[in-house]
Amino acid sequence: MADNNLSDDARELISQEIEAEGATAEESEYSLNDDRRVRTLSPTALVVKRFLRNRVAVTGLVILAFMFVFSFIGGLISPYREDQLFYRYDSQNKQFAAVTENTELRYLSENDGDFPSVARAKFVLAQKQGKEGTFESGGVSYAFKEEGDGLIAIYEASDTTNPIALATYDTVSSSTSNEKLPFGLQHAILLAETNDKHDFTYEGKKYTIDDGGTVMDGDTEVAYASRYVAQAIMPDVFLTRSFKEQLLEAIEVNSKEFTFTDEDGTTADYTLSYDATKSTWSVMQSTSTRVFDTYSSPSSAHWLGTDRNGMDMLTRLMYGGRVSLYIGFIVVFIETAIGVVLGGISGYCGGWVDNLIMRAVDVFYCIPSMPIIIILGAAMDALRVDPQIRMLYLMLLLGFLGWAGIARLVRGQILSLREQEFMTAAEATGIRASRRIFRHLIPNVIPQLIVTMTMSLGSTIITEATLSFLGLGVKFPFASWGNIINDVNDTYVLTNYWFIWIPAGVCLLATVLAFNLVGDGLRDAFDPKMKR
Amino acid sequence: MSADVKTAEATASEPLVYDPQYILMVRDLKKYFPIKGGFMNRVIGNVKAVDGVTFNLKRGTTMGLVGESGCGKTTTGRTILRLTGEKTGGDVLFNGKEVYDLSHEELRHLRTKMQIIFQDPFSSLSPRLPIGEIIGEAVREHNLVPRSELDDYVDEVMDQCGLQPFQKERYPHEFSGGQRQRICIARALALNPEFVVCDEPVSALDVSIQAQIINLLRELQEKRSLTYLFISHDLSVVEHISDTVGVMYLGNLVEYGEKKDIFANPLHPYTQALFSAIPIPDPDAKMNRIVLEGSIPSPANPPEGCKFHTRCKHCMECCKHEAPKQREIEPGHYVVCHLYDE
Repeated sequence: MADNNLSDDARELISQEIEAEGATAEESEYSLNDDRRVRTLSPTALVVKRFLRNRVAVTGLVILAFMFVFSFIGGLISPYREDQLFYRYDSQNKQFAAVTENTELRYLSENDGDFPSVARAKFVLAQKQGKEGTFESGGVSYAFKEEGDGLIAIYEASDTTNPIALATYDTVSSSTSNEKLPFGLQHAILLAETNDKHDFTYEGKKYTIDDGGTVMDGDTEVAYASRYVAQAIMPDVFLTRSFKEQLLEAIEVNSKEFTFTDEDGTTADYTLSYDATKSTWSVMQSTSTRVFDTYSSPSSAHWLGTDRNGMDMLTRLMYGGRVSLYIGFIVVFIETAIGVVLGGISGYCGGWVDNLIMRAVDVFYCIPSMPIIIILGAAMDALRVDPQIRMLYLMLLLGFLGWAGIARLVRGQILSLREQEFMTAAEATGIRASRRIFRHLIPNVIPQLIVTMTMSLGSTIITEATLSFLGLGVKFPFASWGNIINDVNDTYVLTNYWFIWIPAGVCLLATVLAFNLVGDGLRDAFDPKMKR
Repeated sequence: MSADVKTAEATASEPLVYDPQYILMVRDLKKYFPIKGGFMNRVIGNVKAVDGVTFNLKRGTTMGLVGESGCGKTTTGRTILRLTGEKTGGDVLFNGKEVYDLSHEELRHLRTKMQIIFQDPFSSLSPRLPIGEIIGEAVREHNLVPRSELDDYVDEVMDQCGLQPFQKERYPHEFSGGQRQRICIARALALNPEFVVCDEPVSALDVSIQAQIINLLRELQEKRSLTYLFISHDLSVVEHISDTVGVMYLGNLVEYGEKKDIFANPLHPYTQALFSAIPIPDPDAKMNRIVLEGSIPSPANPPEGCKFHTRCKHCMECCKHEAPKQREIEPGHYVVCHLYDE
């Protein structure tokens, strides 16, 4: 039993060895001139071989491969969408506030009209005489007394306890609103401020005042006194105390700019400029505004910059290539479908059918396609056709206008092939007509067809680009190489923003050139007489 | 045989009677190609490529069809196989069936029984099919052998025709002219036909290959009892392969008979002139060449009466007006000439 097993194994081994030897022996068995040594190549394989030997054509193929990857895969990889808009922040300066130092006396009175301007003139004259004095105006006698540094109280001569007006260099403003403070409170504040007192009482309430002139009622700020007057230029702006403080601080240290963050957390830069003739500081606020990032130069975020709408150029280019290639392929597909069917019928049937179709071809050759497309494009503009549907119409139209050449080619090919003896031979062997057409006729038309299709792909892309450039083809928001170039509609853009039109132009040129090179290469490869 | 064969005109109205010893009976076959031109593409004339050909072909024999270029040999062959559209007139009985009365479907099936080998082995093979497919395609289409055996069958046919089965995957461009002609023969014979039109199968080949192909054809004929219609302008080849010989001039079959009768005793002045041109491989032999005057008239405008009268040294007055009729001079030897009128 064991013996048997062993011998079985051994036999298997031996037979395997024999098989292995047999395989190698079979190869070496052939004599040097044996036919079986020749590798068999199908006509297709031969064409591929000849094509690959043509360096120019292979270059074209590589360019096309790159364009396909760029257009169809690039769009997926790109972090941006085709119609994504980009923004940037732009700073804008605007007049925000003006600050004036009081160098002239300002008058406060309890009631308007208590201290008329004629009296003020008399007061100025009297004030120059000394710190205290009297003057008369309009039959009323006044007395005045300097109560502190830059604070003069004016009384009616009959009542020297309650001033009717105050002449002061400082101003008192409410911390919380633009409303006027009561005259008595203002007087108390000014009195305390000008005499460097830190607290005072008004109507039974205790207030404190610090060196900066801020008046506090306990913990709340109610008012402040200052020699500077800050006014907002825009009517809807209220200058807060903290802003004014910072502003005055900046003036005191003679700085030209400062940054302020308000209660809402908005930060803005301010610049100061001093006008000596008016002893006024004007404050400019620079705010940043969100604007479309148009025509930005190539950067790490946008490798080819952005276009006039603020969209990423590179991404647009990718999607544009996709649209251009799509349109090229679909148009050529439509052309070929119509051309092959009609040309095939024409060539195969002959007779009046042939005549009819060929006259139709002649008519289609005569149709001036450009004016028709331009008119239809304008009509679609007027009807506000959706860009996507418009693209579809464009493809159908181009395909419908372009089949004549292919039909003529196919007809010619079929006419010449039909008379070939192998077609008669196929008929003589009783092969069905459908099989004769599809197995014997069509495969022999295909080479010519492929060459023509490749060539017309290039020209279709050019036509599409031309139409899009004229604004009649692919419309915004869809990109196409043609309408990307369309952005260049003045010399300024042409000369300053090279990244708008050069990449699209190069893509277009390279693709069409590549299609033509590949087409030429295929034509040479299909021609068996080309033995390179 | 002789009793049945009547002149063409006498039998024009009667149906052709089938005689089972003949695989093919052709009577007064005509094929004109219209010449179009002038206004609105009217037919303004006809090229009378085949203008009255009558012969019968026995099973298992070879008929040689000779004549100078343009005399309608090829058209005759193709018209018999219904490969040139509709005939203009006459009858073609293949195994007793009128070829031109068949429906397309019936004809398609009949095609397996009658095949053709073309003159040009380069243009008669589809360049985009491997030869195994070229040979086996029609066999598969007609379901002649089961699918599983098709491969072996094609191998066998290729082997018979002197091709190696491993070449099946190759394409026509990889073969020489002789090999291609073998492929053509294999394609025709794969369908197992009874009758093969050999349309100058060797004229495109050099002499050594010619001999191979001729011998192959003879070999296959013996094996499969084939009937050949062998069209050639090479008289020595025809002499080698044929049992009967027909001589054509300008669309007419002017003489038809057993090979030995024709070669030993050519009756028609044209046959005499033609055969006198055969070179004799003996430098001392005296050649009595009959040199014909003028050139062959246009088949679009053939002469009236006997078509050969313009070049015939025996031309008589009647030859110019009246077309001669086919006459049987000796058993199985027919001639169309007024010289032999009773």
